[in-house]
Amino acid sequence: MRKELPIAICAVAALIYVVSTYISPTVFPAGPELVRELNVWYLLVFACAFAVGLVNLAQIHIRRITQRREGWQFSIILMSFMTLMLVLGVFTTGRGTYSDWLYQYWFVNPRATMYSILVFYIASAAYRAFRVKSFEASVLLVAAIIMMLGQAPIGEVIWGQIPKMSRWILNYPNAAGMRGITIAATLGGVATALRIVLGIERGHLGGMGE
Amino acid sequence: MNALLNIDRRVIYVLMIVVCVFALLNPMGLPISINETTQMCYDELMKLQPGDIMYMGYEFSAGGVPELVPAIKSAAKIAFERGARIVSGSMWLEGQGLGGAALEEIANMLGKQYGTDYVQVGYRPGGQMFLELGVADFWEAATGMDQDGTPLSQLPLMADFKVLQDAKVIFIFCTGTPGERQYIGTVGDRFGTPILESCVSVSVPETMPFIRSGQLAGLLMGMRGAAEFEILAGIPGSAVAGMDAQSLSHLLIIVFIGLGNLAYLFGGRKGGRV
Repeated sequence: MRKELPIAICAVAALIYVVSTYISPTVFPAGPELVRELNVWYLLVFACAFAVGLVNLAQIHIRRITQRREGWQFSIILMSFMTLMLVLGVFTTGRGTYSDWLYQYWFVNPRATMYSILVFYIASAAYRAFRVKSFEASVLLVAAIIMMLGQAPIGEVIWGQIPKMSRWILNYPNAAGMRGITIAATLGGVATALRIVLGIERGHLGGMGE
Repeated sequence: MNALLNIDRRVIYVLMIVVCVFALLNPMGLPISINETTQMCYDELMKLQPGDIMYMGYEFSAGGVPELVPAIKSAAKIAFERGARIVSGSMWLEGQGLGGAALEEIANMLGKQYGTDYVQVGYRPGGQMFLELGVADFWEAATGMDQDGTPLSQLPLMADFKVLQDAKVIFIFCTGTPGERQYIGTVGDRFGTPILESCVSVSVPETMPFIRSGQLAGLLMGMRGAAEFEILAGIPGSAVAGMDAQSLSHLLIIVFIGLGNLAYLFGGRKGGRV
């Protein structure tokens, strides 16, 4: 029952959703209300998932600290800040509070910094990876240079046609390729969803599938 | 040639810092032309009439701040100056704190009143489901209160905003999922509400098909798009300032790529350490 019940719930919920989406409310009048109710349930479950994540994270890191595993000192920092943010967040919510200050200056700025230093890795990687080793690599190199110049004002200063060329690359070869990827990924998503609804895919239940 | 083929990455890092700092401290003022997708965003906002509502979705994390926050300020300024009102929300935990502060700044600058001219409902979990619920009953999706816990019934603006499609236009600021695909599928395609987007540069290629198909009514492409929008809004700021740094840093990368290829072609095509 530990697996059959979740699969049954999943199948019923999915069936309601699919039927309500593809069959007109005049034929299935209860559909929109059922979907609305399911959406509310989803939001509740989603919010509860935060609590599950909190417990899971605490379990992992408390175990790491007590067993003195590699990097246990970082786990202490993580647990300390998680507890601090939780306590402050519960008792002092809103703008201008301690939790807001910690969030803005201890969390947001380091995250923005982490993201921005990617530019150094990209510069180094571009220098090493963009080599004219084959025809395909050469095409990629030329397209990359046009795009880099086209996205910065300097490209227009060098030659007025560069922004037009970069727009053409974005609008035609890129859009065509991305459409193919999007359609293929969506079809893959539909297939995976079907496998989950029919109970063929059971990885999310802790099993190994078929 | 071997030295050129394997330049130490620390040399590249230091030169990159030097170039960016130099450009930020010594603005060159390179001309910035307006891209057609940026113009589309501006034209769509210029259709707003006094009293219309624009919904702003802050769907980004801290990494998107340099590219998206300037766009939020510009969009808010244009909309407010047209006499429009703004309702904002976020499906990303970090989005509300970051985007909300930008909207507050512009609202204070233009003397707009919270509750009548703009409302921020804040972060709401659920992603696509938040939007699904929002098109049926936005008040319920927002749990009946704004980001500070004020009941929506006490905010006069919300009387005119019961469902997401009450917005004349939706402007979203995205770094990933949930983002434009969820808005397009849930609101844009179903109700015909025009959706404008400001995205980070790395997301531009995957977003372009939506412009070509007409599912997005306009797109601000990364910091370049934000800089163009700042110019159109008449508030040149951090994005415009960042354009010179972007120009020089891109040039530096191209110079290194050129050096690496010269060494590769004239050094016996041995290849470098990748």
